[in-house]
Amino acid sequence: MDPHRVRAVAKRIILGFRRDRRSLGLLFAAPVVVLSLVGAVWGSATERVPTVVVATDRLNLPAPIVDRFVASTAIHGRRGTFEDGLRQLRSGEVDAVVWLDGTTLHIQIEGADPLESGSIGGAIQRALTDAVAGGNLALAGPAVKIDQLYGGPDYSILDYLAPVLVAFFAFFFIFLLSAVSFLRERTTGTLERLMATPLRRGELVLGYLAGFSFFALLQAIVILLFTVFVLQVHYRGNLATIFIVEAVLVVGAVSLGLLVSAAARNELQAVQFVPIVLLPQVFLSGLLIPVDQLPDYLRPLSAVLPLTYANEALRSVMIKGYELADPLVLRDIGVLVVFGLVMAMGAVASIRRDVA
Amino acid sequence: MTVDPAVVAQGVRKRFGAIEALRGLDLRINTGEIYGLLGPNGSGKTTSIRCVAGLLRPEEGTLRVLGGTPRAAVSAARVGYMTQAPALYGDLSVQENLSFFAALQGVTHADEGIEEALRTVDLLERRRSVVNTLSGGMRTRVSLAATLLHRPSLLLLDEPTVGVDPLLRKEFWAHFRMLAASGITLLVSSHVMDEASRCDRLGLIRGGVVLAEGTANELVARAGATDLESAFVALAEAR
Repeated sequence: MDPHRVRAVAKRIILGFRRDRRSLGLLFAAPVVVLSLVGAVWGSATERVPTVVVATDRLNLPAPIVDRFVASTAIHGRRGTFEDGLRQLRSGEVDAVVWLDGTTLHIQIEGADPLESGSIGGAIQRALTDAVAGGNLALAGPAVKIDQLYGGPDYSILDYLAPVLVAFFAFFFIFLLSAVSFLRERTTGTLERLMATPLRRGELVLGYLAGFSFFALLQAIVILLFTVFVLQVHYRGNLATIFIVEAVLVVGAVSLGLLVSAAARNELQAVQFVPIVLLPQVFLSGLLIPVDQLPDYLRPLSAVLPLTYANEALRSVMIKGYELADPLVLRDIGVLVVFGLVMAMGAVASIRRDVA
Repeated sequence: MTVDPAVVAQGVRKRFGAIEALRGLDLRINTGEIYGLLGPNGSGKTTSIRCVAGLLRPEEGTLRVLGGTPRAAVSAARVGYMTQAPALYGDLSVQENLSFFAALQGVTHADEGIEEALRTVDLLERRRSVVNTLSGGMRTRVSLAATLLHRPSLLLLDEPTVGVDPLLRKEFWAHFRMLAASGITLLVSSHVMDEASRCDRLGLIRGGVVLAEGTANELVARAGATDLESAFVALAEAR
């Protein structure tokens, strides 16, 4: 393995894209445009005031707090019994039922739509914070049990989507660009020329990984800066950890792109792999629907998709503030490394099939 | 003193599915000569060159390149291979393309070599041009320059003059002669019979076998013909 040759390949890729303004635009501007749209659509979703049944038969709190909770502007509060609240929740008349079990405040939400659930949870938390903070009673705020929510009361849906969108954009664009770039190597004859030099196949794949990682990390910086400073998304995690997750994800994306380029005859065919490779990941990786809410028979499929692990790791780091050393984050990174290695070995093997 | 031949092929066979592209190829290319591999399209010229370049592994036969296996010669940066189409990166400049190929061949101080190679192909003033903006002929010249950077011992040129205007073709052959004079062995494939006279020795190839080897005059005399084209027909019919 000669690092000079690997560096030469990486530099070649970076120099080439310097003049390919359209692809660069796609890489950096498209995520910003899409995130702006997401911000406009879901960032404002928190403005919707949910209707909440306060189950007074199971809410043993001082009356002034209950009053302030019901009257909070963050929710449309209704008093009712627990059973009545559940009935209304099932029929879709209300968005949530709130009750107290010991010292834990339970928020029962419909939960089919995680985006909607996040919005409701946030509003109820705000109402509760107002109710407790507004009183002069020596009452500690009760523990709140909401499974989907990790963030503070001012978190919006965008906060929950932003981490997975970072992973999705990196995977999508880097996969597509590497597939098309390598397909060009195959169709224009440059691959044949490269294989008639001392360059080894592993060095070529490594060079591709390095070149595209450079763009993926630049893209991640653009996305992170845009979401933090323009869309005001909350990030708790360490930036370096985010980049590590991103980097190992990109190894898989580039290698998968190289593999796909072996199966495609032209650029149109390469693009046709996008729905096959990416759509399952949109639906099954926890991007839109939490993995634990997927039907049992889809979970094994979800478990083999790289974005599942990238999403979990990035959400853990960015929303929950987990560190790199956290076992969950390490496990996710480990799975992504294995995926990347397997794909990279497949990519090296696919070059062998093409040129002896 | 005898000099080892640059390339020796004996009974080389290569098959692509149902098609047998090489059916027992025998050839011998002496060091420092321009060897022309002449034959029609589909005769096995490109397959032969790709085997010599270590890109294809023959199923049968032996193939020695610069005294070792083809891949060993390529790995040692002793072979330059110019593909039939000028395989370059269109979005890089001439200089950037050449720097890249020089790096792959392990050339450390490439600038001097790049300048020399560009002077050889008369493109020094276009070194900063992006390849996509060059004419077809210029790209072919850049492609040739890319094979010269590491001063290879063996240069494989697959139909280097296809689509090149007669004036440029003349210049190319002058370059090839100059390279041979500096001790480089050249294997040049062509389907144009009138290029034969520019080669030191020829191999007439058809159907994946070399029909005959020798100088143009030897081949014409051996076939009892008046010109090389008639000799080719006579030799092909005799098999």
